[in-house]
Amino acid sequence: MSTASGTSNPEYVVARVRARKASLFGDDDYRKLVRMGPAEIARQMEESTYEDEINALGARYSGVDLVEYALNRDLAGQFDDVLGWTEGRLYDLIARYLRKFDAWNVKTVIRGLYSNVDRETVEADLIRAGEFSDRQVDRLLNAGSIEGVVEVLDGTLYGGPLADALEEYEDAGVLVPLENAVDRAYYEQLLANLVVDEATEMYREFLTAEIDFRNARNGLRLARSGADLDPAAYYIDGGRLFSASELSALSESRDELLARIRDSVYGDQLDNALTVVEETESLIGFERALETALQSYADRLGVVHPLSVTPVVSYILAKEREVDNIRAIARGREAGLSPERIEAELVVL
Amino acid sequence: MAEDVKPTRKNLMEIEDRIELSERGHDTLEQKRDGLIMEFMDILDQAKDVRSDLNEDYDHAQETINMARAVEGDVAVRGAAAALKEHPEITSQSKNIMGVVVPQIESSRVRKRLDERGYGLLGSSSRIDETAEAYEELIETIVLAAEVETAMRKMLEEIEKTKRRVNALEFKLLPDLRKNQEYIEQKLEEQEREEIFRLKKIKAKKEEEASEAAEAEREADETAEEPERVSADD
Repeated sequence: MSTASGTSNPEYVVARVRARKASLFGDDDYRKLVRMGPAEIARQMEESTYEDEINALGARYSGVDLVEYALNRDLAGQFDDVLGWTEGRLYDLIARYLRKFDAWNVKTVIRGLYSNVDRETVEADLIRAGEFSDRQVDRLLNAGSIEGVVEVLDGTLYGGPLADALEEYEDAGVLVPLENAVDRAYYEQLLANLVVDEATEMYREFLTAEIDFRNARNGLRLARSGADLDPAAYYIDGGRLFSASELSALSESRDELLARIRDSVYGDQLDNALTVVEETESLIGFERALETALQSYADRLGVVHPLSVTPVVSYILAKEREVDNIRAIARGREAGLSPERIEAELVVL
Repeated sequence: MAEDVKPTRKNLMEIEDRIELSERGHDTLEQKRDGLIMEFMDILDQAKDVRSDLNEDYDHAQETINMARAVEGDVAVRGAAAALKEHPEITSQSKNIMGVVVPQIESSRVRKRLDERGYGLLGSSSRIDETAEAYEELIETIVLAAEVETAMRKMLEEIEKTKRRVNALEFKLLPDLRKNQEYIEQKLEEQEREEIFRLKKIKAKKEEEASEAAEAEREADETAEEPERVSADD
């Protein structure tokens, strides 16, 4: 198993991920998929790199569920491979981003326990693509109670924050403090102690943009809902766009918040999306624009500094995009959406 | 059946009372029916609007959840839904519209603020928010539709019942009573005529008997006077 100790091996990892990236679905594949039904999509996936997952899950699931679970399992396998190949500082940089799947798994287990969902269903919903080993994930699944989960996570990134949030959870009886603690722990470790050099500068820019965009969308969601929340519940440190007090003040006035984003370094990229938000109540278009902006960062990551962390991160983001796109197409087709609508609403071709 | 009724004056009076009562009841029920129909038409308009809102809200909610499941994934949507603790509550009271008891359904804790939905803000998106909002709106419309459509159904049942009563009075009970009334009146008239005829007969008979008695008396008197005259001549 790889660790953060030792020397980085970007040459080897980059060569491996380049080969993997070359086999990702392209625009033409998506254009074909948007005209297929869920069963045809599953069959098409069976003829691609998803063959093993489709065959392994085919007996248990069918239709769109089969597609979604196969995508999740493949994503987990691919990222597990990437983490397995990397060593040294490169491992640390990649693991920072992939820990979002650990956060996802912790939240899924907690939600399952909270709503008394059986173990098998919770297990099916996990994406084992993060840093946690299978043994750790199994211990989480066997924890039996939310307090047990917190105990199992003691000593990990999430243990401390969850233990702090446990009292608030017990008082309020809602999952918000626990979920926020997990998400905050993930976001805050993204940039913590990050040693930046020329090769990792763009990666840091990408992570900073992700935090800024998360803060911006949460501020706008809050402004839209009218809820009066403690900034600690939604603000993430590490961005360059807002401080906690600024975001708290701005989230009371949507117009001021939009003006602030427009005047920021992201203003040009998000100009059209901001106009849409000003004209309509919905934030969905804005979030889509944020995702597109992050993707353009990811695309740029792939072509600069070819022997560094950036091509690896670019592959990870491209793989995530592929999974999102195929799932969106399959679910969209299942819901009876037209190919044009799916292309316009869901997939960035 | 008119023949079943005893043609007595007492029955006639009873039937006349029942006719009067039934006519009053018929008028009242007709007014009630018309009033109910007017109320029903108002509720019908409201129900049509609510039904159209319900269809619209359902389509919108389905579309948003389909989009959320497509973009965020089914697992994320289910996870966000599972985080909800405070489920909506429905309370039902009743109100009276022209004698019809209709439900008054009230829902509470349906619409929730962002911080009341149970899922964390940091790990979710506005697609989840908008899906939750769409379903909150749909639940409110369902509750309203349940209230209006139940009221409409109950009004309709009451209108039907009132209509059946009006028709029963108009086409069955009142005609039967009137027939009975007519029958008794005819019978009574007939009895009266028979009585008069009988009385006349009796009177005629009595007169005849009286004249016969008078004749017999007169003849007896004449017979008695004849021997007296013969002895005198002797």
